[in-house]
Amino acid sequence: MSHGLPSPLPLFDRILLRTVAKAVPFSEREEWLDTWQAELWHVYHCSRNRRSRTFGVIADLSVGLTCDAVWLRTDSWRRAFSGTAILCLVSLLGLCVLSTLLGLALSGSWHSLSLNLGGQFKRFLIETPLVVFVTFATASHRHLEQNTPGKKIYWIKRQLFFTTKTALVLLLAFLLSVDVCMPIRMSLLYTADLLQILFSVFFSLIGLRWSFNDREQRCKQCLRSLATPARVGRPSHNLLEWNGSELICKQGHGLLSIPEMETSWCQASQWVEQTPGWDQAASA
Amino acid sequence: MSTLRLSHSAALILKALSLGYCFGFDVMEVTGLPSGTVYPALRRLERDELVVSKWEPEEEAASNQRPARRYYEVTREGKAAALAATQRYPLLAHLVPEKHS
Repeated sequence: MSHGLPSPLPLFDRILLRTVAKAVPFSEREEWLDTWQAELWHVYHCSRNRRSRTFGVIADLSVGLTCDAVWLRTDSWRRAFSGTAILCLVSLLGLCVLSTLLGLALSGSWHSLSLNLGGQFKRFLIETPLVVFVTFATASHRHLEQNTPGKKIYWIKRQLFFTTKTALVLLLAFLLSVDVCMPIRMSLLYTADLLQILFSVFFSLIGLRWSFNDREQRCKQCLRSLATPARVGRPSHNLLEWNGSELICKQGHGLLSIPEMETSWCQASQWVEQTPGWDQAASA
Repeated sequence: MSTLRLSHSAALILKALSLGYCFGFDVMEVTGLPSGTVYPALRRLERDELVVSKWEPEEEAASNQRPARRYYEVTREGKAAALAATQRYPLLAHLVPEKHS
């Protein structure tokens, strides 16, 4: 919808609108421009606003239109990236960077930080396979993906994402354990070494458990986090019917059924793929 | 139905809308809030389905020799949220006067 103005806006406002409009997502740009042109026009031509006051209002509205454009842009990013695999990896990477910067601040220089990290990283490389083995061995099998149907490319995507995420989680656990023990390293070297091992194992175990849970609760196609959890069935009817919770992919790729209890007829979580156009078929 | 907990600014804006101030600029004037608060808050309220925005009919605007403006209306959920907010912030009712058209 495009609206013409009975008289044009001042040059400054037109330049401001054109400049700020670039921040607005393309699909919403035209409507945003119409909204703000009408608002500004109203301020200039409204009889209640005296000239001396108009400039103050226009200055305030300039801030408002900029905030509005920025809000629309961030909201479009939120809709595009919320729950995605990319956001998950970027967040983990960001935490690793923050953790490194914290380590740098605590140690005072890159040289002493690299000396600290170098020695402990070798020990961490020995610990890690043990922690990974224990986590894999103790992970509940019903939470493991079993014969999830789908194309090979989706399987490769899932494995790549899981491997990268797990590697980042382990790196973060290591960096955090170093940061935590840094303040006592100078005075109590051996205690700090021992604590660092304990903390790195502890953080790694927590991180890996999260990584497993997160893997289960993602769409098997687009790898977005599944949403809108819903309870299905009644726990008191456990021997008669299935009960548990269901999560769906917001993009409509499928539905995950997680049984509350492991039973002989339903041992593992089940991914039910939706065929394209299922929503139209359901509403028909 | 659970009602959304609103911030004081959002509750004030919703109250103004429910009292008949339907344009962003009018809401700004009557609440005294800066535009950097009002316009993003209106977007959030619209996203949370507490308000809906519509365009004035072109003919009506053209007959008054001005461009059509976007106006906001409070939804049923919005009215419930405004009521809950008034109970939570009792002074809200005194902050915004009713609009006389």
